[in-house]
Amino acid sequence: MGLFQQKQPAKKSTDDQIADNEQHFFDEYFREELRNHGRWYFEKVIAENGKLFKKELDATIERVDGELKTYLTEQVNVMVEQIGADLKGHVTSKIEQQVTEHSKAMQEAQDAALNEMNKSVESLREQHKTLTDSLTSSVAEQEQRTKSSIDEYNARMEAMKEAQDTALASINESTQALKQQQQELTERLEKNVTEQQNSLVGAFEGNMAQIVEQYLLEALGDQYDVKAQLPAIMKQMEDNKQAIVDDMKL
Amino acid sequence: MSDSAAKTHDQYVLPPSVVSRLDVSRLLSELERVDNELTSEQIRHKDEDGYQPSVPTLSGQLSDFLSANDLTLDNDHQRSDIISQVRQLKDTVPVVHMTFATQADHESLSTLVSWFRETAHPQTVVAVGLQPGLVAGVYMRTPNKVHDFSMRARLKGSRGALVGQLEGLRGGQ
Repeated sequence: MGLFQQKQPAKKSTDDQIADNEQHFFDEYFREELRNHGRWYFEKVIAENGKLFKKELDATIERVDGELKTYLTEQVNVMVEQIGADLKGHVTSKIEQQVTEHSKAMQEAQDAALNEMNKSVESLREQHKTLTDSLTSSVAEQEQRTKSSIDEYNARMEAMKEAQDTALASINESTQALKQQQQELTERLEKNVTEQQNSLVGAFEGNMAQIVEQYLLEALGDQYDVKAQLPAIMKQMEDNKQAIVDDMKL
Repeated sequence: MSDSAAKTHDQYVLPPSVVSRLDVSRLLSELERVDNELTSEQIRHKDEDGYQPSVPTLSGQLSDFLSANDLTLDNDHQRSDIISQVRQLKDTVPVVHMTFATQADHESLSTLVSWFRETAHPQTVVAVGLQPGLVAGVYMRTPNKVHDFSMRARLKGSRGALVGQLEGLRGGQ
């Protein structure tokens, strides 16, 4: 701008002016400014292009990703369906084969079991028959034995009754003897009791005398002082005067 | 006084207040004490011419004993002689042991001792004992004999009669 606002000192020729302008255009400062401007513009263009490129690249990637996902899903679905169909067919055939084998084995086992059961039933019939015969004979034998046991029991009861009568008679005799002994014992006991009573009463009387004596000793103790007893003592001493005097004069 | 000084222990008269051998021992102890006091007084005042020590106050028993035997304690030789004789008297007096059911009073003992001194021996003393089991009376022991005048002895003697009466009572029932 400064360039264009400068006052024209004098009118120059167009060539001079062009030469001046060229010179001016090509001085160092101007070239540096141009370079800076060019650098800025280049960076701006690059940044804008980069943004656009990135935007387009993101959109492209997103689209590609969506398409790829769709494609892969379709492919996987197809493959899964195919594998499922193959597996189903294989498993079905295997199961059918095994079911056939199992049915055959079960039929064989069923037949064998049926045979065994038939044999068992036959055997049981035979055993039942044998047991019936045996039971019949056993019941007859048991009846015989019971009858003989009842006879034996009756005989024993008779013998027991006789023994009981004998024992009863013996007990009666013993009771009679015991009664007699009891009477004798009672008489003897009464006699002993009487003797014991007399002995105890005798001892009691002897002890009673001691008790009365002790009672008198307790009751009369400390009742009389020596002064009160003095006349009696003097009298007794007078009564025994000779013996006392003789002893003291020895 | 010269007659009394010649008395021997067997000639001493014991007053009624001297009842037991213990009383005789007390007489001896008191005589010895009085003799010691009078001798000390004499030694203490030996330089004083004509000094006569005063006899200290005597107990009733000793006074009775001295007056009953007409004795004085003025002369130290007499005192020594009296002490010697009383010592012998203590060992030779006849002793009668009397056991009572209750505590005997001094008056009764004096009466009893007087009876012994008049009847048996003039120097008789008694040794008194106590046994409540006797009930009443006296259990007396002279040198060689025992005289049981107690109620217990009488009851013991009458036990046969008591048993007989109880038997009679039983027979009556």
